[in-house]
Amino acid sequence: MHFYGLPGSTLIAIGAAGAVAIVSLYVLKLRRRPVPVPFVRIWQRILREKEATSLFSQLKRLLSLLVQLALLALLVLALGDPRGFASNKARNVVVLVDASASMKAVDVASALNPNYARIDAAKDEVKRLVRGLGGSDRMLIAQMDAGVTPLSTMTGEVADLDQAVSLVRATDSRADFPRALRFAADVLLGLSSPEIVIVSDGNLGEPRDAAGEVHLGQVAVSFVPIGKGGRNIAITGFSVRRYPLDRDRYEVMLDLYNASKEPEEIELNLLGDGNFVDVTKLKLNPGERLPRFYPNLSGARRTLEATIKPVSGGHDDLPADDHAYALLPDQRRIRVLCVTRGNTYLEASLLLTTYLDVTYVAPSDYPVKAQSFDVTIFDDVTPPVAEGSGSVFYLDPSGESSPVKVDPAPLVNVGFDTLDKKSPFLRWTAVDDVYVGRAHRLIPEPGDKVIGASEKGALLLTGRRAGRRFLALGFNPKDSDFVLRIAWPLFVLNVLTEFVAEDPSYLSSFRTGEVWHVAVPTLSDEVWLSAPGAPSPKRVPVQDGRAVYLGLDAGFYTLEAGPRGAAVKSEFAANLADADESAIEPVAALTVDGKTTGAVEGFHVGVRSEWWIALLLLAVAITTVEWATYHRRITV
Amino acid sequence: MSVLDVLRRVSEPIARISRRPPPPDDGELFDDEFQRKLEYLAIVSRRVFAGRLRAERRTKKSGSGVEFADHRDYAPGDDFRSLDWNVYQRFGRLLVRLFEEEEDLSIYLVIDASSSMAFSSQRKFRYAQRLTAALAYVGLANLDRITIVATTDRVEERMPTARGKARIFKVFQFLRGLEPAGTTDLGDAMKTFVAQHKRRGLVVLLSDLYDPHGFERGINVLRYNKFEPFVLHVVDESEGGPKLTGDVRIYDCETGEERDVTVTPKVLSQFKASYQSYLAEVRKFCTDRQVPYVPAEVSVPFDDLVLRVLRRGGFLT
Repeated sequence: MHFYGLPGSTLIAIGAAGAVAIVSLYVLKLRRRPVPVPFVRIWQRILREKEATSLFSQLKRLLSLLVQLALLALLVLALGDPRGFASNKARNVVVLVDASASMKAVDVASALNPNYARIDAAKDEVKRLVRGLGGSDRMLIAQMDAGVTPLSTMTGEVADLDQAVSLVRATDSRADFPRALRFAADVLLGLSSPEIVIVSDGNLGEPRDAAGEVHLGQVAVSFVPIGKGGRNIAITGFSVRRYPLDRDRYEVMLDLYNASKEPEEIELNLLGDGNFVDVTKLKLNPGERLPRFYPNLSGARRTLEATIKPVSGGHDDLPADDHAYALLPDQRRIRVLCVTRGNTYLEASLLLTTYLDVTYVAPSDYPVKAQSFDVTIFDDVTPPVAEGSGSVFYLDPSGESSPVKVDPAPLVNVGFDTLDKKSPFLRWTAVDDVYVGRAHRLIPEPGDKVIGASEKGALLLTGRRAGRRFLALGFNPKDSDFVLRIAWPLFVLNVLTEFVAEDPSYLSSFRTGEVWHVAVPTLSDEVWLSAPGAPSPKRVPVQDGRAVYLGLDAGFYTLEAGPRGAAVKSEFAANLADADESAIEPVAALTVDGKTTGAVEGFHVGVRSEWWIALLLLAVAITTVEWATYHRRITV
Repeated sequence: MSVLDVLRRVSEPIARISRRPPPPDDGELFDDEFQRKLEYLAIVSRRVFAGRLRAERRTKKSGSGVEFADHRDYAPGDDFRSLDWNVYQRFGRLLVRLFEEEEDLSIYLVIDASSSMAFSSQRKFRYAQRLTAALAYVGLANLDRITIVATTDRVEERMPTARGKARIFKVFQFLRGLEPAGTTDLGDAMKTFVAQHKRRGLVVLLSDLYDPHGFERGINVLRYNKFEPFVLHVVDESEGGPKLTGDVRIYDCETGEERDVTVTPKVLSQFKASYQSYLAEVRKFCTDRQVPYVPAEVSVPFDDLVLRVLRRGGFLT
C-alpha cells in the first residue's frame, strides 16, 4: 500500500494530537453535570437497580471511546490517501490535447453556445477521461501546438488533472505532432500499460520529422476525434513593404485559400490604420488558392489588416484565419549631419529620398550645438566625435581622431578585390570593379569587420567605438569612379538605413508557430513583449541583439527594450498563414507508427476506487452510528 | 442669586428623593386579591358549618359544660354538686356527673421551612405560605386559637397563639419572615413541638414530607402525644418528571448527598414510577392510621384546595 496524501510523519502527528484531543474531550464528557434534586432518596430506589449493570456501563463507555479513536484512525488514514500497489492493470496515460489553430473552429458550437469551439469540446472529452480513470491509473496531460507543454505531472489526482485541463488553450500555430509523440513516448518509457490518447481534429500531418518516422513500440495509441465541419476560407499569406524610394507608398501581397468543399464568395477588406483601404469581392472554388497583389497603395502609416468574410453573411467555421496583420516599417525621417567642405556627389545622393533631414556644416562649425543626429558623415575630415552625432560615416578618415589606424602611405590604382556581398551596406550594389585612383589602407582593430578590401589592405570596414557604430571608407569617393556609378547613391542610402536600423528586408509579419528573432531597437538585454490578448508583458531573452520568442498567437505585438519607464517601444505583427492548418475538415482516424489508432477504451465514470473515499464513508457511517447510539444512551 | 438659592436648588432633588414613598412590599404573596379570597373562604366556611356556635367544639376533656357526657365513681375531693343523686337513689352508688367542656379549638399550623420546600423557585414554599395564611384566616374568623410553627430539623420560628380576624396581618408578617433553609427532620421537630405545646389540638402539617429520616416519625410523634395530625402534603408534580438527560450528578438540595445517574428515557420512566410510589406510600400511611391526608398540588389554586380541606372534614369540626 502506498500513501499519496500527507507524509507519514504528519499523519502520525495528526493522529497523536487527535487522540490526545479525543481522550481529553472524552474525559471532559465524562465529567457529570451537577443537578440538584429535592429528595435524592427517590432516585436511590431506581439507582440500586442500575448499579447492578455498572460494569456493563463502564464497558460501554470504553466502547464509545474506542469507537471515536477508530473514527480518528480512519480519518487520519483517509488523509494519507492510501492506494494499493499499482497492479499490472494500472495504466499510465499521456493525453495529447491538440491546441493548434484548427481547434479554434466553432463547427461544434450550438445555438445556445455559439462560441463553443473544438478546443472546448476537447477539454470536455479530457475531463471525461479523467473521471473515468481507474483507482491506480495515472495520467499526464500535455498541450500540443508548435511545442509540447506538459500541464500536469503523471498523477492520478483528479483535482490536478482538472486544473491541467483548464490550462489548455488553443493557439494560432500548427501542432508539432511528431515532437508530441516523441515526448509522450519518452514519458511512458518503462511504465506499465503505457497509452497515448490523442484528442484532436486529426489535422496533425504525418508523424514524421527530421529524425524519421516516430516509433512507439508497445505503447497503445487511442484517438478521440473532435469536430464535424470543414467550411473554411483563409488568408494564408499577407505581407507588405514600402517602396524604398517612395516611403509613402507600399505594396501588399495576399494569399487566399478556400478549404471548403463548396465554392465560396467572399468579401476581402484591407484596412490601413483601421480605415478601409480596399474592398474586393472574390469567388474561390473548392481548394483554390488565390494570390492577390496590391501595388502602389497609400493611406496607411503603421498598421495593415486584411479580413475576409462570406458574402452570404456570418462567418466560416474557423474565424481565426479570417484575419491577417502586418506592420509597415517606421516612416520616421532620418536626421543626417554632413560635415563637408562641399561634395556634389554626396549632396546629390542625399537628395534621392525625401525622408532625410540633412544639415550641412563646414568642418570648422562642427559640432553643432543643441542638436542631435542619427548619422553624421565626415567628408574628408576627421574631427573628434561630439555627443549627439549618432552613428558616423567616415569618407577617407585620417589623423588621431580616426576610429581606425590609417596607413599614411597611399595606395594607388586599387579596387575592391574582396567584398562581403552579404553586408547590408552593399545591398543591391555592384562595386567589384570600382576603380580607386588613390586610397589609404585601413588597419582594423579586433571586433572590426572588413567589408571591402584590395589586395593591399582594407578599404571599407565597420565596427563600434564607445558604443557608437561607424563605417569608414578608405578613400575619397571623388578620387574614384564610385561616384559615377548607380551604386553610389544606393550605398549611401544603405549606410543611412542600416545605421538607423531600417531594414529594407523588413518583415511585415512573423509566422506563428516559429521561433522569432525580433530586432531589439536598443542595446538593452531587458526586453518585454506584450502579446495580443496577454494580460501583462512577458520578459523574453535576447540573443545577438534580437529577442527570441516562440510565437503562438496572431496579432500585433509590442516590444519594450530597456528599463521600465525609459523603454524604447517597437511593434511587429504575426499571422497564422498556414494553409494546412486552415484545412479543418476533421479526420476520423489517425495512423501512427503504421497502425490505425483506435477509440479510447476503459475510461468509465465511477471506476475509481480510491480508498480514502471508502474510509471517509466508513467514518461517516461510524459517526452516524455513534451519534445515534449515544443520544439514545446505548453507548453510555 | 444668593447662596441660599443655590443651596435650595441643590437640595430640592434630594428632598424629592427623600419624599418618595417606600418601595412596595412583597405584595405578590398576600396581595389584595389574596385577602379577598380569604374573606370569601371565611364566609364559605361559615356556611359549611352553619348552625354551630362559636367556640362550641367539644373536647374530650370533661369539664364545666352543660351537656352530659358520662359518669364516674366519686372520689374524695370531687365537687358534691356534681353527684348524681338520682343514680345514687336507684343503684346506691356515688357517681359524679361529667359534662363535656366546651372550649375554643387550638389549631397548630406547622409549615415545613426546609430547603426542599424552596425547590423549583420556591413554588412549594410559597404555596404552603398561602395555604397556611388561608387556613389561619379561616380559623381566626371562627375564633379558634391559631398557632403557626415553622420547622426544619427543629422548630425554627413560632408565631404566638392568635385569635380573631384582626390578627391575620400578624400571620402575614410572620409568614413573610420565613425563609426556607436547612434539612428536614420531622421527628425531631415534632418532638420539640409537642414539648413546647401542652395544649392539645389540631396540627395541620404542611410539608413535602421529604424527610431523609422518614416522614412517619413526625406524624407518629404527634399521634402518640394526643395531637390530631392533619397532613397537607405539598406536592409539585413537576418534581416527578424532571427535565434531565445525559450523564448527571444529582445531589440532594438539603443533605448534599450525591449520586451519579445517566438519565435515559427508561430511567426517567422509572423515576416517575418511583415518585408516584412514594406519594402512594404517604397516602397509605395516613389512611391506615386514620390521619386526614390531603395532597396539596401546587398547580391547584390554593382557595380550591382550602375548600377541599374544609369539605374533607377534620378541620374546624
